[in-house]
Amino acid sequence: MTIKKTKDIFLFSLFLMFFLNLKAVAAQIVNHSAADTAMKIMNSETAAHVLPSAYMVIPFILLLLMIATGPLFYKHFWENHYPKVSLLLSVVVILYYIIFLNNTKSLLHTLTEYISFIALLSSLFVASGGILIKVDKKSTPLVNVIFLLFGAVISNIVGTTGASMLLIRPFIKMNKNRIRPYHIIFFIFIVSNIGGALTPIGDPPLFLGFLSGVPFFWVIDNVWYIWIPTLVLVLLAFYLFDLNNKKDSPTKVEYSGKIHFKGYKNLIYLLIIVIAVFIDPVVIPWVPSLYPLPFGIREIIMFAVVIVSYKTADKEILKDNEFDFEPIKEVAYLFIGIFATMIPALQLIAYEAKEFGDKLSAGVFYWATGILSAILDNTPTYMNFLSAAMGKYGLDVTVKSNVQNFVLVDDIYLKAISVAAVFFGSLTYIGNGPNFMVKSISERAGIEMPSFFTYIVKYSVIILLPIFTIIWLLFFYGKG
Amino acid sequence: MMTIENTIKNKLKGLYYGNRMILPFNCHLLKVIIEDDIIMDFSPSSKSIYVHEEENFTEIYFKLFKNIKDAVSKYESIKLIAVEKDKDIFNFDNHYKLAVHIEDEHKLTIDKTDEDILFIE
Repeated sequence: MTIKKTKDIFLFSLFLMFFLNLKAVAAQIVNHSAADTAMKIMNSETAAHVLPSAYMVIPFILLLLMIATGPLFYKHFWENHYPKVSLLLSVVVILYYIIFLNNTKSLLHTLTEYISFIALLSSLFVASGGILIKVDKKSTPLVNVIFLLFGAVISNIVGTTGASMLLIRPFIKMNKNRIRPYHIIFFIFIVSNIGGALTPIGDPPLFLGFLSGVPFFWVIDNVWYIWIPTLVLVLLAFYLFDLNNKKDSPTKVEYSGKIHFKGYKNLIYLLIIVIAVFIDPVVIPWVPSLYPLPFGIREIIMFAVVIVSYKTADKEILKDNEFDFEPIKEVAYLFIGIFATMIPALQLIAYEAKEFGDKLSAGVFYWATGILSAILDNTPTYMNFLSAAMGKYGLDVTVKSNVQNFVLVDDIYLKAISVAAVFFGSLTYIGNGPNFMVKSISERAGIEMPSFFTYIVKYSVIILLPIFTIIWLLFFYGKG
Repeated sequence: MMTIENTIKNKLKGLYYGNRMILPFNCHLLKVIIEDDIIMDFSPSSKSIYVHEEENFTEIYFKLFKNIKDAVSKYESIKLIAVEKDKDIFNFDNHYKLAVHIEDEHKLTIDKTDEDILFIE
């Protein structure tokens, strides 16, 4: 292990230890379920604690600006120092919450969410890194559309992260002679985000909704008719782009038309991860809670999968996949900064949403959840807006039966919040965890990806916003 | 003059010291990928790379890295598209896609990238 890597791990561990120490201070939390605790804290944050100063949103804005501008204008500095920048900005917010607000509950809740987030992402990343899929078939616009549609469906079974990690390499290989950045961007739109809107496994906000009491099959029963037109429109846009791509191999290539698959045992690891998602005291009552630790059995299983799947992986497959921990390390560092610095922003938004919840229509919930999901984490955004929508009916998001009643009373708000939280994650590189990882894998393959701003201006605004506007007009305009 | 073809055939090794990589052949470079840096500017003013050609070897300095061993992990490689010095650069059949793996004791192994490795020209 190199000195730099040892230093990185030391720095990261130090930070986690600092964060973990907070749990001792937060001993007054009495609920013994980590997930339940997380939800309760989230929704009691604004009520039980003084709101943070609006100035405390500055570290978050600064971090977002640096993520956007770093790789463009000061690449060398950013590549060498982004972990320190991310941790430093986090520490500013953490100290503010400890010293000035005396609020450790919010920090503990965020830590719980972060560990859960990184456990899922890293386990899917490592397990799928030991799988090699080779599609030796000439890519055409239609074949690509079918491939992306398959990815969208699969993302509801193995999650958007699992599907992205599993399919991005074969997608690039299939298109190696005519690949352009738009191929990757549409992959991010469809497989890494929009596809996963049908089940709670698809995307984390839907899973938290499920833990709160939204029935497992409510999503597919109520969102499919929004999912289909959205997907059709995005696939149609991709088809038109791809139809105009006349690029072909400069040398003659012969295709066997076969699909090769290596690394079957890693499918078992993926299955374990998917099953582990449900191993939570909220879902299965006999599952022991590890309170006051900020993680549960689920996270332990997922981290165990990281170690076992890496140690037992076929070295040839790892070599062919050029497996490297760097993409997940980048996500781990940047998102610890994003998770910590966004606490004040989320609390201020939650307060405003509750204050004005009565006056908000389904359309406002759709746009507000969506735009904030694109720049903040979509899971707490989903929960805050769900809480505000339920507040309209005097219901409490922390009470499971209330959530079940809310679904029966008027589900237009839940539909708006659910689809927006998932769909809009595709608007930016930071909108969803796998977006960054797909970008990183593509760059390592030699594909020049657009910058943070170019991605938004040239692709998200031009392609996605009109489609999301059509969805709003069709399903949410003038409702609620 | 040592060629790329001979280097691969005879499994000759390159060398690295810090951010300096020494390839045992003379070549024209078209594209270099190290980590997620895609380098295509090989002019003297390039901020990423400096290439120096000698009769029997090619030196590459990666200016953004102190030590390439820290940048490239166990299963990763530095990827190059290179053309033999005396071959037609405009003929794509002459473009070698190479994967350079970092080993211990300052050694580099140089292979043609196989079909399984993702490498877009």
